[in-house]
Amino acid sequence: MSSASSVAVGEQPLTRVKARSPWLETLRRISLYTVVRVIFLFITVVISVYLTILIANMGGYVDKMQEGEIAERVAMRIMADPVMRQLPVEKRNQIMEEMVQVERKRLGLDTPFFVRSLLYLRNALTLNLGHSQKMTSDSGSRQVRLILLERLPSTLVLFATSNLLLFFMSVFIALMLSRTYGSFFDRLIIALSPTSAAPGWFYGIFLILIFAGLLGILPFGGMVDAPPPPTPLEYALSLLKHLILPVSALLISTGAVSIYNWRTFFLIYSSEDYVEMAKAKGLPSRMIERRYILRPTMPTIVTSFALTLLNLWGGAIILETVFNWPGLGRLYYQAIGLVDTPVIVAETVIYAYLLAITVFMLDFVYALIDPRVKVGEGAKQ
Amino acid sequence: MATSERLLQIESLYLYFRTTKGVVQAVDGINLELGRNEAIVIIGESGCGKTSLARAILRLLPRNVHKYTGKVFLGDLNVMELSEEEFRQHIRWMRISMVPQAAMNALNPVLRVGDQVAEPAIIHGGLTKREALEQAIKMFRMVGVPEDFASRYAFELSGGMRQRVAIAMALITSPELVVLDEPTSALDVLTQANIMNMLKSIKWDLGVSYILITHDISTSSELADRVAVMYAGQIVEVGDALRFFQSPLHPYSRKLMNSVPRLRVDMEPEFIVGQPPSLIFPPKGCRFAERCPQRFGRCAEDPPIIAQNGRQVKCWLYA
Repeated sequence: MSSASSVAVGEQPLTRVKARSPWLETLRRISLYTVVRVIFLFITVVISVYLTILIANMGGYVDKMQEGEIAERVAMRIMADPVMRQLPVEKRNQIMEEMVQVERKRLGLDTPFFVRSLLYLRNALTLNLGHSQKMTSDSGSRQVRLILLERLPSTLVLFATSNLLLFFMSVFIALMLSRTYGSFFDRLIIALSPTSAAPGWFYGIFLILIFAGLLGILPFGGMVDAPPPPTPLEYALSLLKHLILPVSALLISTGAVSIYNWRTFFLIYSSEDYVEMAKAKGLPSRMIERRYILRPTMPTIVTSFALTLLNLWGGAIILETVFNWPGLGRLYYQAIGLVDTPVIVAETVIYAYLLAITVFMLDFVYALIDPRVKVGEGAKQ
Repeated sequence: MATSERLLQIESLYLYFRTTKGVVQAVDGINLELGRNEAIVIIGESGCGKTSLARAILRLLPRNVHKYTGKVFLGDLNVMELSEEEFRQHIRWMRISMVPQAAMNALNPVLRVGDQVAEPAIIHGGLTKREALEQAIKMFRMVGVPEDFASRYAFELSGGMRQRVAIAMALITSPELVVLDEPTSALDVLTQANIMNMLKSIKWDLGVSYILITHDISTSSELADRVAVMYAGQIVEVGDALRFFQSPLHPYSRKLMNSVPRLRVDMEPEFIVGQPPSLIFPPKGCRFAERCPQRFGRCAEDPPIIAQNGRQVKCWLYA
């Protein structure tokens, strides 16, 4: 008796709130959820970007390298100047010291690294990517934005082709294999999946040796023929020819294992009770596949697809180097080699933002495609 | 009831599975008959092959089938001779439907339950989506599910409601035979009784036949016209329910009945000594002999099925 009454008391305020204005309540809940989510994702981005700034600057050690370079440059200039050479040593040292100080001030090296790291952070977060230290774009600009934009299309072409091909091919083939468990092709894919033990560029080297070196039917590398073809059609064909080897290298390395993963995934989901029930109901196998296997697994497939899209941006350092592909991966590699901090930080910042936006969007896509997911705390009712 | 028209006849049905340890003889030469509008209860311990028998009848086979032979007559049609596609079109849900063991997982989590119930009526009955949904709502009314639940998802329903939805789904195409695989095992006692009563009244209203697979003797006694006892992949006793519950013949059936606690009789429930035999290496002769208190010399040979006033028992005691 007493427990029954306490339940009734406990439920009362809840029903009152619901009865007041369900729409407003939903709106409030969703906006609260969105704000909290955005704040958390932003904090994640800030932390990752700040860590990148610290690492790319080697915790301030890059400053010392720069100061050394300034001192060297100033000394060289004074040595090269006949007027300066006439001056007494003390006077000359004094001028040298002044010039170093001016240069340090110009580059902002006179403020402590910690303060500057926060400034860098602010610039990075506001996408004020600034100027590179050493690298230039092909048109000679030092703006990091231009350097990145110049490389972006070539990376996108290569990785959009290979990753989208890989994704749709593996989901499609995996679905077919999951129908014929234990068949010859099923076993073949399992047997081939260890090819993923070696990365794409490893196969790339052999592909270049065979198809460019021995057979001479495909180019060694690069994105288009040396004088770029004049008409758009010829340009596209030339691009296609150059794409074959790097795309094949990536597919050989990850194709089998990706099909294998998806096939296992579909097999697990096709042994769910409701799939068996659908079979007992006598639904055609096409319908079972669409409504009982693909629909329930849609969230996972969409997540994987979103992460695939995200990967298009990063490029691949070694693969691009092996194929001499003018993409972002090679840019990253060169920037690290030259310790060009602004370029490294800029690439990371953009990647972090893209990741955060993707994760944020996925939350809402989930709520659309999976009725079990309700945005906010609504799932409890 | 015994004179009613025959609906289902199973003749020496075998279903063996291949496993890494050996071949599991889950359904080992089963013979069974079922009349129209009759309910047969198949009782047995866990792992005796009850669910495999249901799967063999429904042709819901896993990937590791080793042997699947026998005859299953539905009316005069041997459904074992049909191709998979013929079986799907003409038998599945048209003539035989099922209510699964755990309705929790038997409903697709991302489809509205109304649509799932309506599906067979669209596929087999040729109804439009709207007509099928109306039909589904009619079934909902019959099994006591509120109409507006049709637009809900499985996770928004309680266990009892889900089970009712599964029953509505099984009946929508008005099949002749419904296989109920432990339909109430995951529910509380009160809900169990409700569902059993509902199944009983549906049986009278629609004239369907049931194969009820259970290990819960007390709840099944409500519904049963006949009882079959399964032990180690074989049926050891078949008879009409009334006489079975009063005086089971097979020593195993007796032991089983004595293990059920009773309300009005002052009797300690007993248990059966030992464990059910392995279905990979079943014992020679009578499979229950090892645990049987009444075994004697002949039990080393496989006992035949012996008719005893309209009941059948597989035991040397009645030879």
